[in-house]
Amino acid sequence: MRSERYIPYLLVLPSVIFLLFLFAWPLVEALLLSIRGSEGWTLEHFQRMAADLYFKDAVKYTVLLAVVVVPLQVILALCMAMLLGGISKGRDLFLYVWTIPLGISDLAAGIAWLAIFTERGYLNSFLQALGLIQEPRLWLSYETPAMLFLAVVAAEVWRATAIVLVILVAGLQLIPKEYNEAAEVFGATPWRRFWKVTLPLLMPSLQVALILRTILALEVFAVVVALGGRNLPVLAGEAYFWYNAYQNPGVAAAYSVLILGISVLATLLYLRLMRPRQEVAA
Amino acid sequence: MAGIRVENIVKLFGRVKALNGVSLEVRDQEFVVLLGPSGCGKTTLLRIIAGLEHAESGRVFIGDRDVTALPPRSRKIAMVFQNYAVFPHLTVFENIAFGLRMQKALPERLRAQVERAATLMHIENLLERYPAQLSGGQRQRVAVARALAVEPEVLLMDEPLSNLDALLRLEMRAELKRLLAESRTTTLYVTHDQVEAMSLADRIAVMNAGRVVQYDEPMKVYQEPADTFVGGFIGSPPMNFLRLPVEGSQARIQSLTLELPSSPPGKDVLLGVRPEDLEAHLEPQPQSFPARVLVVEPLGSHLLLTLAYEQQQLKVTVPPDFAAKSGQTLWLRPQPGRLRWLDPASGQSLTHARQA
Ligand SMILES: Nc1ncnc2c1ncn2[C@@H]1O[C@H](COP(=O)(O)OP(=O)(O)OP(=O)(O)O)[C@@H](O)[C@H]1O
Ligand SMILES: [Mg+2]
Repeated sequence: MRSERYIPYLLVLPSVIFLLFLFAWPLVEALLLSIRGSEGWTLEHFQRMAADLYFKDAVKYTVLLAVVVVPLQVILALCMAMLLGGISKGRDLFLYVWTIPLGISDLAAGIAWLAIFTERGYLNSFLQALGLIQEPRLWLSYETPAMLFLAVVAAEVWRATAIVLVILVAGLQLIPKEYNEAAEVFGATPWRRFWKVTLPLLMPSLQVALILRTILALEVFAVVVALGGRNLPVLAGEAYFWYNAYQNPGVAAAYSVLILGISVLATLLYLRLMRPRQEVAA
Repeated sequence: MAGIRVENIVKLFGRVKALNGVSLEVRDQEFVVLLGPSGCGKTTLLRIIAGLEHAESGRVFIGDRDVTALPPRSRKIAMVFQNYAVFPHLTVFENIAFGLRMQKALPERLRAQVERAATLMHIENLLERYPAQLSGGQRQRVAVARALAVEPEVLLMDEPLSNLDALLRLEMRAELKRLLAESRTTTLYVTHDQVEAMSLADRIAVMNAGRVVQYDEPMKVYQEPADTFVGGFIGSPPMNFLRLPVEGSQARIQSLTLELPSSPPGKDVLLGVRPEDLEAHLEPQPQSFPARVLVVEPLGSHLLLTLAYEQQQLKVTVPPDFAAKSGQTLWLRPQPGRLRWLDPASGQSLTHARQA
């Protein structure tokens, strides 16, 4: 009977090897790359990164994007999920349509939105046709960072709200309907039922969605590059430029480590702030 | 002032007819027990009264209001759910306080009510716990306390004591009865424990297959069952039914003839008699018929005998010191005035005016 104890370990072994090989190893490599110079250990890559002209903006815009996009997506997805819960016929159709953007790669999504915002794009044609502007406006230049930022927000919200929606819809379906029924019998209005019952019981799903979306938002790259090039610097973009244009893997690695650090921090924060109450009590 | 009245409720789940024309009136301050086998529609009826389910047809009144179209929260009721539905993210205190919070009760009243309900259910020392840290029976008592805390005029309870041990159930039953009588709460209480039903109810509504088959006081339901189902479902062991030939306006058991209240439609008639209403004798007696003992079961307070009369079996209870052996022949004397006569074809009682 003793040998049975090893079976679970044996069964998880392949996936552990896979993860070690494809995730842990590159991770360690990147870490080493960022702190190893020509003559031993060094912080020079990090210093160079911090001293770079684009660094401050990249941090600012990355964090700002995450702070604006993620809550927007979660609130939007929550509204959509609650609406879906209220319809019975054609519910699947709505779900499918809303999740179409999930199937589109982020670069393709960026290009699609570029087609809207570019100088001869749909937005300008539309506004011209309405007579609101006389000639095409430049929306995505370095002179209009706010507009550029909004365009990226719009594209990101369009592209990645669906994943939050899918997680929340699944989470809502896991909540037994008896809790809402009990709340209703004891006099709770729909609004209070949402705040007192549905939302607290949805916390685990919300947590998953928030962690997932925040990490992905901190890595935002293709959409930004497609819409603004380097006019809206972001951390992942800088890593790319340092690696490709400047041929400096050390600084590129420093950027990736920074992204990793912020992601881990955000995740820990979510886990801490959104602990289920039972655990707090225990 | 809040009675409950439902009229001609029909409820379909797909092709399953869960309720098939149920009408029921619970008077103001009355304690009515819904009793019936599993799947007969008790929970469904309660959920329709609460507004959680919509009937295909029929109306629901609470007090003088027609609440058929009203959402549950406007019906001013409290309910104990069969599956408890205790909120997992709230402490026991907050669970019990839920209804009061929704009513925006003052803090002093809220605390007092919660503590009173919790004490009544013997869970006053669990108030800070979460439901995951409770046993099934404790969770069930939280569900009952939550309903009692709002002091409703109308209380619906779906098997509220089913998960408690026998002793605790006995105690809670008595306390519930006292409390609800004191607070004059109109109560509709579901159970399939017939002892509970008999002990609690002002009136019992016996349900079977989506219908109310008899609605009467406990002793009436016990002694004068409306049909063979009620007689068989209530009482342990159930009522005996003997099929006897009819001669004119009399039924015959061997040499014994018994008067019928009205002439039955067929050649045969069913005699319904409770096991304790047959007096057993070792020697032949007037007004009795012979039956052979098959099984003797000592049950402490009495002996339960299984006997055969011709091809039919019947059960009789006798005092524990009664000397009966299997294979022996006993003479059974039916207690006059305790006999029910039923139509063997329909199973309906010959005297009982059928409830709509
Ligand atoms: N949501 C549902 N969908 C389909 N059928 C249902 C549903 N709820 C109940 N039924 C059916 O309706 C009938 C009555 O169910 P109900 O829950 O009212 O029984 P009950 O008398 O409460 O039984 P129990 O004593 O086991 O709780 C059953 O045949 C059941 O299978
Ligand atoms: Mg039930």
